[in-house]
Amino acid sequence: MYRLAKGLTDAFSRRFARAVRETYGEDEAYASTPLGRLALGVFLLLLLLLPFLLSPYPMYVATLVAIGALSAMGLHLLVGGAGQISLGHAAFMGVGAYTASHLVGPLAPVGILLGGGIAALFGLVLGLPSLRIKGVYLAIATLAFQFLADYVFKNWEAVTGGIRGRTLPPAELFGLSLDTPERLWYLVLLFALPLFFYAKRLLMTRAGRAFMAVRDNDLSARVAGVDLVRVKLLAFALSAFYAGVAGGLLAQLYKAVTPEYFPLSVSIQYLAMVIVGGAGTVLGAVLGAFFVLLIPEVLNSLVGALGPQYAATLAAWRNVVFGLLILFFLILEPLGLVGLWGRIRNYFRTWPLPY
Amino acid sequence: MGVILEAKNLHLSFKGVKALVGVEFSVAEGEFFAVIGPNGAGKTTLLNVLSGVYEPDKGEVVFLGQNLRGKSPQDRARMGLARTFQGLEIFRGMSVLENVKLGAELALPAYPLALPRAEREWQLRAWAEEVLDYLHLSPFRHAPAGMLPYGLQKRVEVARALASRPKLLLLDEPMAGLSLEEKQDLARFLLDAREEWGVTLLWVEHDLRAVLELSDRVLVLSYGEVLYHGPPQGVRQDPKVAEAYLGQA
Repeated sequence: MYRLAKGLTDAFSRRFARAVRETYGEDEAYASTPLGRLALGVFLLLLLLLPFLLSPYPMYVATLVAIGALSAMGLHLLVGGAGQISLGHAAFMGVGAYTASHLVGPLAPVGILLGGGIAALFGLVLGLPSLRIKGVYLAIATLAFQFLADYVFKNWEAVTGGIRGRTLPPAELFGLSLDTPERLWYLVLLFALPLFFYAKRLLMTRAGRAFMAVRDNDLSARVAGVDLVRVKLLAFALSAFYAGVAGGLLAQLYKAVTPEYFPLSVSIQYLAMVIVGGAGTVLGAVLGAFFVLLIPEVLNSLVGALGPQYAATLAAWRNVVFGLLILFFLILEPLGLVGLWGRIRNYFRTWPLPY
Repeated sequence: MGVILEAKNLHLSFKGVKALVGVEFSVAEGEFFAVIGPNGAGKTTLLNVLSGVYEPDKGEVVFLGQNLRGKSPQDRARMGLARTFQGLEIFRGMSVLENVKLGAELALPAYPLALPRAEREWQLRAWAEEVLDYLHLSPFRHAPAGMLPYGLQKRVEVARALASRPKLLLLDEPMAGLSLEEKQDLARFLLDAREEWGVTLLWVEHDLRAVLELSDRVLVLSYGEVLYHGPPQGVRQDPKVAEAYLGQA
């Protein structure tokens, strides 16, 4: 009994107290402790089993959130990581989605990857103004890209199908048709998991430090040997790649692509995810996407409970709640949900003896 | 001991304001070289020219036998020219460790792919920890650099610069705003770094006592011109220097 108790408390402190990590290597690694590895394993298992645990509609929402989180991760790298602002994130998703809509069925994974690649090329181009301008001016430049892309989506009928857009047959993987969200979920995981781990590692290593150095102080970064041009272009390209892949997956989920999936308001929604989640972290991307994409669902179910006569009022309130939440986070918790989580964790790290 | 840095006839003006007028000097390897002068003398401008933030209108900077004209700040950093700034120019949102690691990147050979690799990260960590330990910053390694008190932030900046194993370190008023004790600590760190890692030091500093005690040679600037270039003992005796600092008697 004593040994069990001791084992548990040891595991607990190993998980939560940095001091117990004995080598630098352990301190560098994530999930370096047995409990951490266990938690990671359980989490991954849960992700794999999710389609068996949820009914179809929640599963659809979960897939939507996962895709949103992936796209938000890209914006996190750009905004939270390298400190560059972009109001054109939805446009990159659109580029990915339209590209993916041309390579369908068994070719879907290739189409999604290619969508990411082409979006990344556009990202490189959009990164060019960031070498000259900063802040609000850069925001305007990316805004221009958003409107341009919107115009092209609506008018280049041969490729985008114009206003009516394009419809897609279900994706196929190893001959299996991914026609339901439960099945598509695995395709989403196939792309999202490696990209999330890559982002995590990226932020913890050389490239991530260069990103953050540019964010914090670009003059000093230059003198410390950071290649500004490279970092900014890389950040834009990576961010666009994530958005493009997410856009492709979204096209597979909706089985259609139309211009109205990628308007300016969606770009702003993604910026909101970054702010609410806590800029520049992997966890922030996931939490932000959860929060921002689930609010409409929660409000929708409220509508369902109250009756349809309130639908119009609640739709308006949705935006108000949204705006208030962003204000709340900007003023009270600049670190976002990640900051909240950090505080909760710190509380339990020393629990039950905080002093 | 060879010459590590040589400035030849540097001229730089901003729309009629002559910031540097024919500045010439050389720094020997392993030297502790000071640049002093009244406010607006062009000291920081000189450092900006040396580190590549400004390009001089005329003249050239030779570092390790190579002409630096057209070399960007990051190229110069890779050649072994590190620098700290007058204000605090650390990366405030990053932890102390990340700041130092960023500097330490330059100490390791460049690697071709931008893929994150654990092995390299451990090497970096080991070296960064050595520098942190050396500057007595280890307890703060995971603290966000912007949250530390001023004196420590200054030390983080020096640590970041030293972690790149520079051959020449340019320091812009490293002692400004520090207490006497912190100044003494910093002086010791700098002298030890020179001793142990063979860093040549060039600093701009207003604390004359520290400058005259620590430096091997001194360059005095006023309105962009060189007033004096030589050992510290001669500074106080030089009539031109006295005039620039105190005005005409």
